Amino acid sequence: MVRYHVHDDRATVFRPLSLASPHMLAFHLAWLNLFSCFFSTFSIPPLLPVIRHHLHLTPTDIGNAGIASFVGSIFSRLLMGPTCDLVGPRIASGTLSLLTAPVILATAFVSTPQSFITIRFLVGFSLANFVSNQFWMTSMFAPSIVGLANGLAAGWANAGSGVTQLVMPLVYSLIINFNVPSSMAWRLAFVVPAIFQAITGILVLAFGQDLPSGKYVRTKTQKTEGENVFKIVLEGLSNYRGWVLGLVYGFSFGVELTTDNNIAQYFYDRFNLNIEVAGSIAASFGVANLFSRPMGGVISDGLGRRFGMRGRLWGLWVVQTVAGLLCILLGRLNSLWSSILVMCAFSVFVQAAGGVIFGVVPFVSKRSLGVISGMTGSGGTIGAVVTQTLLFSGAHLSKQTSISLMGIMMVLCTVPVSFLYFPQWGGMFCGPSSDPDSPEDNYHLLDSG
Amino acid sequence: MAARGHVVASLLILCFLAGPCYGKRLFSSLKQTLDVTASPTQGQVLEAGEAKITVTWGLNRTLPAGTDSAYKKIKVKLCYAPISQKDRGWRKTEDDLSRDKTCQHDVVSRPYDASNTSTQSFEWTVQKDVPTATYFVRAYALDANGDEVAYGQTTDAAKTKNLFQIKGMSGRHASLDICSAVFSAFSVVSLFVFFYIEKRKGRVSQSKIEMTGQ
Repeated sequence: MVRYHVHDDRATVFRPLSLASPHMLAFHLAWLNLFSCFFSTFSIPPLLPVIRHHLHLTPTDIGNAGIASFVGSIFSRLLMGPTCDLVGPRIASGTLSLLTAPVILATAFVSTPQSFITIRFLVGFSLANFVSNQFWMTSMFAPSIVGLANGLAAGWANAGSGVTQLVMPLVYSLIINFNVPSSMAWRLAFVVPAIFQAITGILVLAFGQDLPSGKYVRTKTQKTEGENVFKIVLEGLSNYRGWVLGLVYGFSFGVELTTDNNIAQYFYDRFNLNIEVAGSIAASFGVANLFSRPMGGVISDGLGRRFGMRGRLWGLWVVQTVAGLLCILLGRLNSLWSSILVMCAFSVFVQAAGGVIFGVVPFVSKRSLGVISGMTGSGGTIGAVVTQTLLFSGAHLSKQTSISLMGIMMVLCTVPVSFLYFPQWGGMFCGPSSDPDSPEDNYHLLDSG
Repeated sequence: MAARGHVVASLLILCFLAGPCYGKRLFSSLKQTLDVTASPTQGQVLEAGEAKITVTWGLNRTLPAGTDSAYKKIKVKLCYAPISQKDRGWRKTEDDLSRDKTCQHDVVSRPYDASNTSTQSFEWTVQKDVPTATYFVRAYALDANGDEVAYGQTTDAAKTKNLFQIKGMSGRHASLDICSAVFSAFSVVSLFVFFYIEKRKGRVSQSKIEMTGQ
């Protein structure tokens, strides 16, 4: 029997259209809340062609602000894990949403590049709700469907980063229609994400429930395990697979985040589109998350059933390498329609790669699952910071070249997948070792049940 | 054979999408035949939404008559000076006029009468959404097809003289600030209200347990 949090009554079936309390209601509240956080964090990039005029921004400022938005989320994600352990996911996520809603509204106050960077840093904190979202789903759904629940919750929430790129320019245009000058219109537009986020925060607090059995309490078992927390963390950190997966996730989810930050401006500048059209193209990148990320998880599970761990690893390598190749191609194209097509294909593959990676993560270590998930998840945002810093800050590289270079980095950083080896199940090139019952680690995590 | 067909097809599509391959208007092919002056002096700072600029344009008198026979319309625009273009690719000057982003703000568009040899002028109130930057004024002469054939500008070829600054509107308004502050307060207060309600519910159920326990 798998022991996550000692509690049971977790759901064993997944009914997406039901709002039944507590499991499905929790699912819908969780993904909607995280959706609003992604919506807020990425509400700024599609309006950059307007904001950069009025705040007198240089490409360096814009790049630094992009980096700041990810750095904010790195720290907050690391803090969110222990916070969920202490107070439960419902209070943690609801509180974070309500506290960061004023921050996105504060974008209306910004008048210098420095305050712009600060605001993006603070808004990025809301992305920590990813951790509470996954924690909550794991508490509510049994291991047989937790992958699906986690993948859908993450994927549907991630689509917020796409929807916002479509909605924000439309809100801006709507406000402009009322003869509001553009310098005020973009400030007013941030009322929309702020209100949305506050509403979802309130809904989570009012209707959510931490566990199938009720409110979250730290159980005695967890408290005695507290003495071993240090050991668990050390065990996770010393597991090389966690680092490899962190690197690989950094170049799938990280690349996805960086692309979210830059793609609207890229299409606006390169192809002379107006702000709404550039936004809708950028939106189609993020919205693909609705199906591509869960699809990645499903593919991983399917390959795992037929070919075991070797299938999962090969699947990961293939999907992410194809994504990298498409990224290289995207930077080389000169026409609008071929760029859009390649970008759509790229979005499906890079997001599916994220789903496939989290199909491997649960198998790395049982006791240190939280640490490994945290390492992988943080690796994602760190990868975003790296690509944003190296490639999209400052004017020395053209955006096309940066995109292609990002694709090359993706392909190179997917090679370490071949280094992953599980004694029980093998790796990409080697079969399982002859001694599957090595006592060192409890690798055996997710049973078929 | 199929590959070659592919290449031809994609080249055609590229050509089609990149704009007509013939008739690409280049700035370097335009003649500077117009004399354009604007009221702001060198280094003057104007406020967007309030200040007025008077622009005067006309054909250069030293040119032979008939130079302007093709001109049908004059389009006057506000253009970024090099210092405001520095490091900002979205304001870059390019020779291909369809991709040139130097002049992004329209001042006025007037039909051109070649028989009228006097200069024309227009008083323009600087629009509210003009951002903070350094500018000059340029006028394009368009022919019957709407293509640029000539131009004139208030500055020299190196764009160093007669540049003026415009201070853009900040866009901040007291009403917006107040609404934001009120909303933020609501957001934080509702959080504490929620915690208070939770605590009270906990106390009530606790006292209920104590009562039934007796």
